[in-house]
Amino acid sequence: MKIAVCVKQVPDSETRINLAAPAAKLDQTGFTRVLNPYDAYAVEEAVRIKEARGGEITAITVGPETVRETLKKDCLAVGCDKAIIINDPLLAGADDAAIADVLCAALKKDNYDLILFGIKAIDDDSGQVGILVAEKLGLPHVSTITKLELGEGTLTAHREIEGGKEIVDCPLPAVLTCQKGLNEPRLPSLPNIMKAGMKPMQIVTCADLGVTPPAALVEIRQYSPPPARGTCRLVTGDDAAAAARELARVLNEEAKVI
Amino acid sequence: MSGYRGVDFYHFDRCLSDEERSIRDTVRRFVDQSFLPGIRGHFRDGTFPLDLIPQLGEMGLLGPSVKGPGCMGLSGVIYGLICQELERGDSGLRSFASVQGSLVMWPISVYGTDEQKNTWLPELAAGRKIGCFGLTEADHGSDPGGMETRAERDGDGWLLNGSKLWITNANLADVAVVWARTPEGVSGFLVERGMPGFSTNVIHGKYSLRASDTGELVFDNVRLPDSARLPGARGLKAPLSCLNQARYGIAWGVVGAAQDCYDTALRYAQERKQFDKPIGSFQLVQQKLVTMVTEITKAQGLCLQLGRLKDDGINDVPLVSLSKRNNVAMALDCARMARDILGAAGITDEFCPGRHMANLESVYTYEGTHDIHTLIVGAEITGLSAYR
Ligand SMILES: Cc1cc2nc3c(=O)[nH]c(=O)nc-3n(C[C@H](O)[C@H](O)[C@H](O)COP(=O)(O)OP(=O)(O)OC[C@H]3O[C@@H](n4cnc5c(N)ncnc54)[C@H](O)[C@@H]3O)c2cc1C
Ligand SMILES: Cc1cc2nc3c(=O)[nH]c(=O)nc-3n(C[C@H](O)[C@H](O)[C@H](O)COP(=O)(O)OP(=O)(O)OC[C@H]3O[C@@H](n4cnc5c(N)ncnc54)[C@H](O)[C@@H]3O)c2cc1C
Repeated sequence: MKIAVCVKQVPDSETRINLAAPAAKLDQTGFTRVLNPYDAYAVEEAVRIKEARGGEITAITVGPETVRETLKKDCLAVGCDKAIIINDPLLAGADDAAIADVLCAALKKDNYDLILFGIKAIDDDSGQVGILVAEKLGLPHVSTITKLELGEGTLTAHREIEGGKEIVDCPLPAVLTCQKGLNEPRLPSLPNIMKAGMKPMQIVTCADLGVTPPAALVEIRQYSPPPARGTCRLVTGDDAAAAARELARVLNEEAKVI
Repeated sequence: MSGYRGVDFYHFDRCLSDEERSIRDTVRRFVDQSFLPGIRGHFRDGTFPLDLIPQLGEMGLLGPSVKGPGCMGLSGVIYGLICQELERGDSGLRSFASVQGSLVMWPISVYGTDEQKNTWLPELAAGRKIGCFGLTEADHGSDPGGMETRAERDGDGWLLNGSKLWITNANLADVAVVWARTPEGVSGFLVERGMPGFSTNVIHGKYSLRASDTGELVFDNVRLPDSARLPGARGLKAPLSCLNQARYGIAWGVVGAAQDCYDTALRYAQERKQFDKPIGSFQLVQQKLVTMVTEITKAQGLCLQLGRLKDDGINDVPLVSLSKRNNVAMALDCARMARDILGAAGITDEFCPGRHMANLESVYTYEGTHDIHTLIVGAEITGLSAYR
């Protein structure tokens, strides 16, 4: 079984963002960067499949060369066999469609039976790249999976839907996006961290992959801080009926919601 | 997730390799995910989280720098970083790992026979067996040379009599490294649980290191085969050499506890308002926070240099003494300052500084008291010993 896991490095969820006023760019100095937490479910699922059936796992990312440490620690040290970093100045400001094109070019270099993604990256929260890749490659996809069973040349995945779950069968090769609940990602052991440095890690450009990233369809124009939280007003009084009347009046006349 | 990120005011991270940082971050995650959710309960109940021992072994956190069968022989700096992260969790967790790695596995790897190494090291490294180290006695702490526990020749073996007190992991241990006076000087023996005449007792009523087992080892005519003796260990310098390994880990470990206290106090001071302002805006509170971050940064510098020296084969006792002495006292000061900044909230187990402070009182005393390390460094620089 050949598995590809597409991952992204993101600022960790505790990052304090310094943004006093609207700005075109975020000041990212001092950000701690980690593996996107949803991608950890994808990596863990791939490793479990490999442990059960054998195979090879390739972790693929688009990002700066500094993602090496994250790939080593959170992909190679937990069981991925090799890593590919797509690093190219052409990709500065690339949008999801461009990232998907570039990933497709890298994925086409090999014959993967299964391609795994996290459901979304916690930085831009867009959640499209996995599905775009599936469409561009003409492969079936199942998104937001919380359970996976592999058959012979097929898979059965459980996916979350509003108020329930959907059980989907589909043929391999396929693209899946992984949701929390799919598994519990393991921590790497010390010996595996030490060995991760010896696993192959390839850094490639768009030219190496024979792809020209398309111009961005989406442009980020401004980041603005969330509006300050309003103040809370308490309607008090010993007479419950009077307090309720006052509340209704405020909701109607001031807040204008009823 | 606690959101704990440690302190790196001076960018010491730049001096670490990818592997060193990855291991540090992984142990930090282990402590966040597996250890910290249970620590309040264990500290209250006076218990060690036994269920985590297999994971400590699987991850490779037991004796990582020991060389021998089933062991990884990683660097001193990596061992130090692991101690730092474990002690950020609790000094009891780091104590468990220090005893297993530095005081049990290390002497077996250095002073043991091949048979002893093959029997014990893989089991201890995996956490399938637990060890303890018996040097201190009720009447002989800072001066272990006065020990009364004796081993006499008995046919082709030995007869062991005496007792050891204040022994970490005493009641959990499958094997005890016991130091005893013999006609040939101080020797080390591997005493196994279940040997007739060997028993252990729990020390109750501790207010420090509550999430750690501390006890007594009692030897009443314990008959040992000659193969239980560590043949390479002769004289008092053998147990003292083990302590030098463990103290090294303590010098790093306590910096983790100090960082946890500082991190907690800093966040608290930014959120807590008095006189309509965050208390972090008051000069006196800032002075405390600055003192903490300065002292932590200095201690980090000591650790890193101590570690790089150790990895270059320079591991002299006075070098380790200076760092153990400085860093433990520093951590204790940080815990007290952090407790102060938390006001009344600081006296409950809702926050870590009170627990670290209580723990660090033990760390201040064990593995050579603060003052004994003063005397070791004093003897080194003056050439005049105040204690021998
Ligand atoms: C929680 C805990 C766990 C421990 N675990 C272990 C273990 O696993 N194995 C083990 O063998 N031991 C262990 N110990 C014992 C520890 O190493 C001793 O407590 C320590 O060596 C001090 O000995 P003592 O308690 O007898 O104090 P003492 O030696 O009686 O010292 C009391 C005071 O006198 C001072 N003092 C002593 N001599 C001098 C001097 N010459 N000049 C000036 N001041 C002096 C000391 O600094 C101290 O302040 C542990 C202790 C604790 C608290
Ligand atoms: C066991 C216990 C029993 C108690 N019993 C009683 C009781 O019976 N009745 C009662 O009324 N109260 C009682 N208290 C409350 C006690 O008086 C308060 O804890 C104390 O006044 C400190 O307030 P705080 O805990 O809110 O800390 P905070 O006021 O939040 O102080 C936190 C830190 O900020 C510092 N700080 C605050 N303001 C400034 C400033 N302007 N400049 C510089 N530093 C500043 C403080 O010195 C401290 O280090 C008790 C507390 C405890 C722990």
